[in-house]
Amino acid sequence: MASTKTATSTPALSFPRPIFAAISPHPFLQAHLSAPGANKGFRANARSAQEFRTPGIKTGTLTHCHGSAVVRLGNTSVVCGVRGEILRVEDVQDLPAVAATDGVVGGIDGVGAQEDEEEDEEEDEGELEGLRLLVPNLELNTGSAPSNIPGSAPSAAAQTLITRIRSLLLSTRLIRAKDLRIAFTPLPLNTNDPDNPPDTESQPVPEVKAYWTLYLDILFISLDGSAFDAAWLAILAALKDTVLPKASWDEDVEMVLCSDKFSDAERLRLRGLPVASTFAVFEGRGDDLKDVDMDEDGDKGPDWVLSDPDAFEEGVCREGVCIVLDCSDRRKKARGQIRRIEKSGGGVVDRDVMKDLVTRSFERWAVCERVLRGVGEATV
Amino acid sequence: MNTDRRRINAPSGGTSAPIFSRTVKESGYLQSLRPSRIRAPHELRNIYLRTGIIPSASGSAYLEIPLPTPSSPTTSLIPPRSSLKLSCSIQGPKPLPRSAPFSPSLLLTATVKFAPFASRNRRGYIRDSVERDIGVHLETALRGVLIGERWPKSGVEVIVTVIEGDEDGWWGDAVMGVHGGTNGSGWGLLNVLAGCITVSSAAIADAGIDCVDMVSGGVAAMVRNPHATGREEKEKLVKVLDPCPSEHQDIVAACAVGYLAARDEITEVWMKGDIGFSQEELVDGATHAALGSLSVLKEVLLESVEAKFKGEGS
Repeated sequence: MASTKTATSTPALSFPRPIFAAISPHPFLQAHLSAPGANKGFRANARSAQEFRTPGIKTGTLTHCHGSAVVRLGNTSVVCGVRGEILRVEDVQDLPAVAATDGVVGGIDGVGAQEDEEEDEEEDEGELEGLRLLVPNLELNTGSAPSNIPGSAPSAAAQTLITRIRSLLLSTRLIRAKDLRIAFTPLPLNTNDPDNPPDTESQPVPEVKAYWTLYLDILFISLDGSAFDAAWLAILAALKDTVLPKASWDEDVEMVLCSDKFSDAERLRLRGLPVASTFAVFEGRGDDLKDVDMDEDGDKGPDWVLSDPDAFEEGVCREGVCIVLDCSDRRKKARGQIRRIEKSGGGVVDRDVMKDLVTRSFERWAVCERVLRGVGEATV
Repeated sequence: MNTDRRRINAPSGGTSAPIFSRTVKESGYLQSLRPSRIRAPHELRNIYLRTGIIPSASGSAYLEIPLPTPSSPTTSLIPPRSSLKLSCSIQGPKPLPRSAPFSPSLLLTATVKFAPFASRNRRGYIRDSVERDIGVHLETALRGVLIGERWPKSGVEVIVTVIEGDEDGWWGDAVMGVHGGTNGSGWGLLNVLAGCITVSSAAIADAGIDCVDMVSGGVAAMVRNPHATGREEKEKLVKVLDPCPSEHQDIVAACAVGYLAARDEITEVWMKGDIGFSQEELVDGATHAALGSLSVLKEVLLESVEAKFKGEGS
């Protein structure tokens, strides 16, 4: 239908679709979106403006990781591996103050206790961030798109992407510092003595000997738009899949030793389930396709907000919005919490549009939650 | 520890991989985890191959040699061996930049990169010498295959990402300090190279770049039988095709080839170890292994071509 439209404006020339898309991407997409008849409102990739791509997730594929996931979002595919390594406290040069306070010790006492609201509210970002216990990294240069050739340093886009992911990881408080602590409680000296029961004063205090450091490595196999959504979903799925071996401090050898038994290992628990949704704003230009280049600020056509844009659409859109939502907290009365809104470029999205986008993100959350539900529920 | 300003760095104190208590404290336990080869000496592992996994690339392929399904449910968290997972992307042929000097034929660049989670010990993001080395070997294997004269003034990038690679030996040997603590001498790289050759061959065919023939990779090795009793038996070498280095305690020599079956030509040979007089036997074995992967390659490409034509017809 796109080519027919060109044919009417320039009867002598008719291009095949891919060439039309390559030479004049903007009119190509606009012709698609404003096509008359039953196809109205459909994009070049046959999705409607509101339609997201349904994610496909496979977990536990990597042998050498504690948790892993492959996420496919249309033509975007991402591998994420979570690997836990041990950071000894004595190797830490400047231990953040928070690790030495009682709050930490109290947290350890709660091991095995029922997960309650107070424990959930524990402030532990300082520990995670100060010790750098979460190390997310990302590699785009795997030939995942024609411009991503290996050998070059991470591009500005890749650096921005990973910084956004890291800050979201920390600000959503997805991981509890408590789960990463490896503590040691020295045995009381006189437990066998029935005459002198150990009084509460001399009760041994658990001491944090080491931490699990989680390396989250994200590898893009193929990139076709919405890199942030795909990478974040891969991190979520991989973390849900993560099983850390039971680690304990061994006094005799003075190091941390792990148990290699499946039954001892513990699955990582996450706080909530924030899901990211990316939107791109496609600004329509004047109705007439002929003078596209001239009326940059002339009469404007309608605008479309496209959900989950692909690489081609990202190329023609200037304005972008990213909303991170979490509806997993059932205790709160609200439908869900907005964890983050990012918006850049352009001025099309106003308050009303933003409200609509949040509604769309809610629907998106439900879809992703359904896909993620199966992950990490198998008994360890 | 060096810091990389463009990436998120690990804690500066350094971290270490977990050490499992039973492998340290119980003497017999570590040995009980050692995997052994259950295949016949000439039997290859199953290969899974798929083309067209990256739509934006001109050609792409994915190769996997999956782990054998364990006969009994495992209770240990330690994986006994590693699988092989490679993804290959072809970018081009595309015109060389204006600044580049004139080239009468297609310029080939082959890059091999290991993912950080490709091996038992975490790898870095910056390319190391091993990756450069294997990239050169791959380039040699492919250069003779492409008909470069048909693309003057152009370049093509072959990018292989090792999502998971074969290990150089059984990990327990490294723990116990056998072989001087080093984990064998790069036996796993031969398997990775052979896989790289096969997967790039599939991706090149997917990209529709003209070739003289389809190249495929294969590995053979000479191993000593660890269970032999007599002295003579112990010295005897056995030729195995497609060795999984973790399964063999004592690999003497190994060889990987890039083989053009229809022309009976070898584009690349990489031999390691104490070869002695058996080099011809080794190369023969490796070409046999390459024939095995070629049969998979042919079938997959035929299927993908059929699917393409069906898709166009409808």
